[in-house]
Amino acid sequence: MAQITLVEAVTMALAHEMKEDPTVVVFGEDVGVNGGVFRATAGLQKEFGDERVIDTPLAEVMIAGMCVGMASQGLKPVVEAQFEGFMYPMVDHVVNHAARLRHRTRGRMSCPAVFRAPWGGGIHAPEHHSDSNEATWAHFPGVRTVIPSSPSRAYGLLLAAIRDPDPVVFLEPKRIYRWQREEVEDDGEELPLDVCFVLRDGTDVTLVTWGAMVKETMEAAVALEKEGVSAEVIDVATVAPLDMETIVESVEKTGRCVIVHEAPKHCGVGAEIAAGLADQGVWHLKAPVKRVTGYDTVMPLYRNEMNYMPSAERIVHAAKETLEYA
Amino acid sequence: MKTFNLPDLGEGLPDAEIVEWLVAEGDEVEVDDPIVSMETAKAVVEVPSPYKGKVAKFHGKEGDVIKTGAPLIDFEVDGDAPQKDPEDVEVETAAEEPAPDDDAGQTEDAEERADTGTVVGNVTTSDEVVQQTHSDVGGVKVTPAVRALARKLKVDLSTVEPTGKDGTVTSADVRKAAESGPTKKAEPAPSPAPAPAPSPAPAPAPSSKPEKESAKGEWEPIRGTRRTMARTMSESHKRVVPTTIMDDADIHAWGPGEDITVRLLRSLWAGAQAEPGLNAWYDDEQNTRMVHKTMHVGMAVDTADGLFVARLRDVHSSDRQQLREEINRLRDNVKSRSIPPEDLKDYTIMLSNFGVFAGRYATPIINPPCVAIVAAGVLRHEVVPVLGGLEAHRMLPLSLTFDHRVCTGGEAARFLKAMIADLQKSQ
Repeated sequence: MAQITLVEAVTMALAHEMKEDPTVVVFGEDVGVNGGVFRATAGLQKEFGDERVIDTPLAEVMIAGMCVGMASQGLKPVVEAQFEGFMYPMVDHVVNHAARLRHRTRGRMSCPAVFRAPWGGGIHAPEHHSDSNEATWAHFPGVRTVIPSSPSRAYGLLLAAIRDPDPVVFLEPKRIYRWQREEVEDDGEELPLDVCFVLRDGTDVTLVTWGAMVKETMEAAVALEKEGVSAEVIDVATVAPLDMETIVESVEKTGRCVIVHEAPKHCGVGAEIAAGLADQGVWHLKAPVKRVTGYDTVMPLYRNEMNYMPSAERIVHAAKETLEYA
Repeated sequence: MKTFNLPDLGEGLPDAEIVEWLVAEGDEVEVDDPIVSMETAKAVVEVPSPYKGKVAKFHGKEGDVIKTGAPLIDFEVDGDAPQKDPEDVEVETAAEEPAPDDDAGQTEDAEERADTGTVVGNVTTSDEVVQQTHSDVGGVKVTPAVRALARKLKVDLSTVEPTGKDGTVTSADVRKAAESGPTKKAEPAPSPAPAPAPSPAPAPAPSSKPEKESAKGEWEPIRGTRRTMARTMSESHKRVVPTTIMDDADIHAWGPGEDITVRLLRSLWAGAQAEPGLNAWYDDEQNTRMVHKTMHVGMAVDTADGLFVARLRDVHSSDRQQLREEINRLRDNVKSRSIPPEDLKDYTIMLSNFGVFAGRYATPIINPPCVAIVAAGVLRHEVVPVLGGLEAHRMLPLSLTFDHRVCTGGEAARFLKAMIADLQKSQ
């Protein structure tokens, strides 16, 4: 079993599915010869040829449009945007076409496409290479938004995303692309979409997060434990559709919830979770729901980047705030 | 002489291309003076000098690709001057786009530079190996992935037999549990399948939730019309060899106000004229048949008490007006439940107009000694290609069951064809 990083798990899942399923094709800017900006598609073109791993011109609109066309005609395209900030030209095709194809044709057609992108901040890239734009996608029905937070979840969730008959936006937290290694068996076993992963059990406060923020959130949980506070950590993984059931169930136990995300607070996915708790969990809440997020401004340049992103300290602080209520 | 090797400019890329030398061989440089612009896959990066001294030699010209770790430039180093460890060289992005005037960036002093220096894609790398930890869910050891799977498949983990290492539940265990049915515990198993004989209803267990109702009720005897239906249907099933063919009549040509039942009756006679063998009785005990020269149609009538078949007389010799009057007479008799017994027998062929409720095609059942029954389903519009385009036509679906012991498929098909031809007439 290989000890691999998150980005290597992406490569492994792609290779596995290309081997298993001849309809899977990969394309995007520099995904072929170069193997992708972050090496997520390294070696795929060599193994599967340039008809299945295609270098495209620098034209995200075309990449997304081609992807919808291929998906509707029987292929399973997995396309890459080099950074999440370059996905915006793809919005039209994803929202107006990929997400609606099933509905528009009354189920006659579906769109088994995956739109991948390295996502999030913290690698000292220019500011429009560092967005956490999951709320953009999560808002639209008909498309799933999935964010792995570990090598094993990247492998299993990407397999599930490729196999799913409907479109998936697959956002890869680039900050933790190579942060840790994990033993991941290349056994083709997918992980379930649409459900949260409970990473740590606790009884005093529920910390809900996804993507690279899982790192800081787990650190915060460890720090809280040293102070005698037992924190449960939930990795949402599929931010849309949202598995409120797991979150509500946890809050029924802890009575407190802190939501952590890199994206700005305003209209972030955290707002949806907080609203869900107000709706379904209010009788179990002992304290206001707190959100620890990026600030409501554009991502700053590198020097201030890590001040913008939630730190373990900020998460601990917010958790303690909720503990001030009996 | 010191050789400076190309540092990793980030992203773990294997090489970079020389865009422009910012110094010339022979130039004196200070520590941190930019010496060269290098292009990686995503950024143009200025590489600062790690040494104070004189540039002795370039190891490549503009446009050359230098491998990470390979020699880039040689310096003649001033032995006394303070030097920097080349490992500490930090590079600054010259941005992919032409950099706008950036006051802060241009006026930085050396102290601040250490703070800013980085490139696109400075991804933290480590070889630390982590493992999924197990958590204890109600006494069950399970990884987050398996726990998520159980959530997805709605499997209660406390009911799953763990087969994994150290008593952990595996994803295969969860899948197996999911296949063997819902595992929501705590509810007492409902009593299985309804018993064949009446049995006392189990006492409902006290619970705040509404209990699942087990099937229960009272047995009642079948009487009257429903009893007759049960007997004749069983008899038919035992004796007749039924075969059903189905087709549509395109009734686009009909004017408004056409009487569907009247048209169906007339078309039956048209069918019988083409193939009299379906308007017949078969005596399977004597193995004789009687092909009728007249037609009396047994019409299936659905009532709360069950199905019966009422006779419409003299279809062969009636005009539309007379047919309608005969239908009305029958309908009134059904309403007043005063059908004379002679009207419940001696029909020569049968018709079911179940389409007044719902359903397109059916496999209607023949009452012996009859040998054929026609059923009409619900009317629908269908797109029909016509010369010059598409039209929406009304379609009347027909199902003809015949007793294959005495009728051939050819006879039945020709009968149906004649019916359809008659139905498709404008009037």
